[in-house]
Amino acid sequence: MNKELLKKSQSLIALFALCLVISILSDKFMTSSNLWNVLRQISVNICISVGMTLVVLMAGIDLSVGSVLAFSSAVCAGLLSKGISIPSMDLFIGFTVLGGVLVALIVGLLMGLFNGWVITKFSLPPFVATLAMLTIARGATMLYTQGIPISNLGSSFEFIGSGWLLGIPVPVWISLFVVLSVVFITNKTTFGRYIYAIGGNERAAFLSGINIKAVKLAVYGISGMMAAVGGILVTSRLNSAQPNAGASYELDSIAAVVIGGTSLSGGIGTIAGTVIGATIIGVLNNGLILLNVSPFWQQVVKGLVILLAVIIDQKSKKKA
Amino acid sequence: MTFKSFLTLIIITVSLTNCSQKSSEEKPKVAVVISTLNNPWFVVLAEAAAKNAEQLGYEAKIFDSQNNPAIESDNFENLISSGYDAILFNPTDADGSISNIMKAKEAGVPVFCMDREVNSNDAATSQVLSDNYSGCAEIGIEFVKSLNGKGKYVEILGLVGDNNTWARSGGFHSVVDKFPGFKMLAQQSGDFDRNKAMEVLETIMQGHPDLEAVFCGNDAMAMGAYQALLSAGKADKVKVFGFDGASDVIEKIAEGKIVATGMQYPIVMAETAAKFADEYFKGKRDFPQRVPVEVVLVKKSNAGSFK
Repeated sequence: MNKELLKKSQSLIALFALCLVISILSDKFMTSSNLWNVLRQISVNICISVGMTLVVLMAGIDLSVGSVLAFSSAVCAGLLSKGISIPSMDLFIGFTVLGGVLVALIVGLLMGLFNGWVITKFSLPPFVATLAMLTIARGATMLYTQGIPISNLGSSFEFIGSGWLLGIPVPVWISLFVVLSVVFITNKTTFGRYIYAIGGNERAAFLSGINIKAVKLAVYGISGMMAAVGGILVTSRLNSAQPNAGASYELDSIAAVVIGGTSLSGGIGTIAGTVIGATIIGVLNNGLILLNVSPFWQQVVKGLVILLAVIIDQKSKKKA
Repeated sequence: MTFKSFLTLIIITVSLTNCSQKSSEEKPKVAVVISTLNNPWFVVLAEAAAKNAEQLGYEAKIFDSQNNPAIESDNFENLISSGYDAILFNPTDADGSISNIMKAKEAGVPVFCMDREVNSNDAATSQVLSDNYSGCAEIGIEFVKSLNGKGKYVEILGLVGDNNTWARSGGFHSVVDKFPGFKMLAQQSGDFDRNKAMEVLETIMQGHPDLEAVFCGNDAMAMGAYQALLSAGKADKVKVFGFDGASDVIEKIAEGKIVATGMQYPIVMAETAAKFADEYFKGKRDFPQRVPVEVVLVKKSNAGSFK
């Protein structure tokens, strides 16, 4: 328990240090409007990273999240703006916001389940299977959109990404809901225990009677669905689906998971850590722009901070 | 892989290629090699080039280089060995793409560059180019006029590794920097991406709520910037400028919500390049090395004619 606490506080301390440095350099950082801005901007990465954490806890990886995000975003926007029409049958189905969102979530879930199915059925390394999905889903997005953004989605849909509820931006509510649900799953359910068990020692987990395939299938499904949640948020914020949305989001999300102290070899890590990791990345992005750092330097600085965070984490693990 | 699945794969591949190559007898084949299909502007350029070549009676196929000179090089090698007769080319890199053009030239395949140039005068047969620099200088002039020669502004750059980014930024600053009344509050990259530009401007506004104008290196970013201003309730106070001539921005210009953009003519460039290839097949050999295609300023008064 003490070790856990130490590790968690390690990344928290890093976050506070980062905030302190930026607020000394810029007086605009510690304003409520900027902090809401940061929270709203990181909500997409938090949703994706929470799903990614479950995958990484099982010693897996999901490289397809950015493309799955783009495809579910395109489907959602396509349904909202054009609906489904089959002229030969004289059929037209229009979609409400709720309908479009639900279909997008299901599309994400199915793509994730497909990842899980390929991985378990053919015993493929997750890296390879999800790398293939990264390309397939991006191609599917291009096919569906013909490379052109889908816009004019109606003002009620914009509420999801740009609205406020009880003084808090809606995307923040959504990411909070996602985080709390998954924290509940990992800490309070047997399913959650199984995820840790499989990541800790897959063979032992199998011998103790855990249905490994079913758990993996579910976890990749969840990861796909979380990518779809991110997709809905991005689409709504822009009021438009972009064919190239989510490109390289998998890297930001893996970075958040790793900075948050989850081990890439599985079994160790927490959702709370990932949330802190995503916040560190978000604060860093925000701070570098507030300070008007040259875009050339920004990438270098971001890479160095990720490196530093992981080195500190490694050291603290050895000590503990 | 078992023998059976290998066989299936071959059968699938063969049957796929068969259906895409019907009626290929003796028509010259034209390849359209495009830097990226990940951006609607280039999709229009590629499709217009292919359509024009087909209308002239040629078989045309589009190859996507995915913004990667290495993939572009593979594309060139493949299409030279599969016997294409001409290449309508949108290069990924002004220097990196020269060696690819030289490969085609050695194989006797003429290359016509579209939109983006390469830094060589004896590689491509001809280059039909959009003038990014003077197009953005035009935007700069409109910018100065619309702000009466002074104001605080933000510039959102495209991908910092892309030469169009700097041609556009350079053209804009060649005009605006002559006016000491202007102050650039921040210059940040939005990677030519709508979402990135929105988030970048949201953050910049935290530090500089007093901005009066935003210049964006393309129209996708101008839309993102407009979205950020809209959510911040500043859309009617801050003037947005873009570049490209995307249809959603032209709509916003007509409504008076975005001030101006530069209309590039992908269709004109594609048409000209396809026409050159046609003339080449008919025996013409002396083409001008560079054919500039004018960028036209779109503002509220003329937006209607671009819809």
